[in-house]
Amino acid sequence: MSSTWVIASKELLDLRRDRLFAVLIGFLAIATLISVGVAAAAFRTELDAYNLYVQQLAASGSTTPPAEPQLFPLQLLRGGVEYLEILGALFAIVLGYGTVAKEKYRGTLQLLLSRPVGRFAIPAGKVLGLAVVWLVVVAVLTLLTTLAILVIGNAPLQGIDLVRILIAAVVAWVYLVFWSSLAIGITALSPRLSTGLIVSIVVWLAFVLIIPQIGDTMDPDNQVPGGLFATLQIQKPDELKVLANFAAFDGIRNGLEVSSITKHFERLSFAFLGIKDKYNQLPLGLVWADMWGYAITLAAATLASVTFAVGATTRRNLQRKIS
Amino acid sequence: MNTFLVSARHEMLNTRRARTAHILLIVFIGMVIASSVIGWVTNQTVTGVYNKVVADGLTTAPNPFAGVSPLYYARNAVIYVLLIGSLMAIVLGVQATVRDRKASTVDLVLSRPVATPARLLGQLAGLAVVLAAVIGISFSVSWLIFSIINGAPLGWGDTGRVIAFGLLSWVLLTSFALLGMLTGLRSKQQTTALLVPFVIWSAVAFVLPQIGTAARPVSLLNPVPALASTGGYFDVVSAFTGPLSLTEQFKRASSIILQDPNVTGEATSSILILLAFLVIMTVVVVVTPRNRMRSGLNE
Repeated sequence: MSSTWVIASKELLDLRRDRLFAVLIGFLAIATLISVGVAAAAFRTELDAYNLYVQQLAASGSTTPPAEPQLFPLQLLRGGVEYLEILGALFAIVLGYGTVAKEKYRGTLQLLLSRPVGRFAIPAGKVLGLAVVWLVVVAVLTLLTTLAILVIGNAPLQGIDLVRILIAAVVAWVYLVFWSSLAIGITALSPRLSTGLIVSIVVWLAFVLIIPQIGDTMDPDNQVPGGLFATLQIQKPDELKVLANFAAFDGIRNGLEVSSITKHFERLSFAFLGIKDKYNQLPLGLVWADMWGYAITLAAATLASVTFAVGATTRRNLQRKIS
Repeated sequence: MNTFLVSARHEMLNTRRARTAHILLIVFIGMVIASSVIGWVTNQTVTGVYNKVVADGLTTAPNPFAGVSPLYYARNAVIYVLLIGSLMAIVLGVQATVRDRKASTVDLVLSRPVATPARLLGQLAGLAVVLAAVIGISFSVSWLIFSIINGAPLGWGDTGRVIAFGLLSWVLLTSFALLGMLTGLRSKQQTTALLVPFVIWSAVAFVLPQIGTAARPVSLLNPVPALASTGGYFDVVSAFTGPLSLTEQFKRASSIILQDPNVTGEATSSILILLAFLVIMTVVVVVTPRNRMRSGLNE
């Protein structure tokens, strides 16, 4: 067995025994399931309101009821995707940090380095171990949420829906590996372990919460509850024509958003799951034709993050004085 | 000098020396100031969009931003207090108590005739002063920017509202600092001490509001409150989760104080909920037993 795989196996064993890990993943699973349940409840409330309205219309003699609200089962996953993008990234950072920190705290680092392990075996083993852990976690979450759609949401799923869910799961896995690898690299470079965690959290704060939030806040349509254009009763084609006059502002706003890896994950997931109306029920080939750029950047960013983790986690950096 | 004042001074000195705390403090001050500029640029653009829509004859609806208060530009600051400020306060709180346990200075301190409530309240007072200073600096610069955008210094009424928003922010941040102190005192590992309050913050900021209103997690990062689902399940559940959604209470009270036209009603109940949270957290931290303060860390 190669030393990389030995270290990866040790990571898996450590995490299996880690109560904190179990608590974090449990919290993420509960939050995701709640989001499916709440979305289903919101749809039922909307449907009840519609039925009541139709009854009132019928009672008043009207024969032209408005269009019935339609349930697209995969749209129930929107909250779950957003939890993964916010909390999943945070927990990925904590696991990445923990995998380096525990070796220093427990004093096992010196023992590990006394063995004939290759230059890249330790960081590569740790990244590999976490990649396997996230694969299992994403698989379990995917299974749970799919069941939640069927049972809690009471919504039927077609074969193509399962493929869409699978694609979104792969995207989520790549995103989580990105954050864990980044945290490994930052922690290895930090002279103090707590600094590694706090710096990683500041990066998370900036790229997961602040930058997308600024982009969202600058969106003219987000200035009024329910949407500016809906309030002004402007149709979509007219909205696009008007916004074409503010291309520079929109370019800056969009530039800010796409500078965050989180937005790449979000846009990819929303497109393949049909959460974004523009892509709802669109064939996968057409979605891919529109989204391949985001897939490439997400994959490239993750590759860069893994390279950073492996390159930064050197023997010299790891053996710095612990404080 | 008594225990309370010595502890407070010591805490301020430690925060001044902690470089990681400085990162968060600088980010917070920078973002609160930047939020005013972002708000102004966005408002200018939206006004341009509205004018274009009217010129093209696409609407006859009134401008939803006509006559907005100069404090409208501060609404993004509400989100930055929630996001950056709360996390900064948690980190400061955790560091305050974990530092003592990690370096075993708490053993030395408690070998003296020191009452534990005085020691903990002193640490809290030190943190509260640091938070007040950070809020004071960032909001003073924001006031200046609002005045520049407005073309004249803000009047007494608006200045009072900025001060009230600052006080409310201080109440929220001090409460989260107390949460950090509590987990710093109770956790066996430093990682857990930092992580548990973050998880609690996530639950309060995202999960609770979602359960009660069906608001999506990301939409909760927008200063404009999400449209709440009503009827049936949501009416019942929001009655329980609403008061516990402290960050939403803060958003609501702040929006009313800053005269955001999208939020109406009284801020009193929200302010009382936030004050109650502060008092409860203070009591929970202050009653920490001496042996808990002296317990070592497992890492």
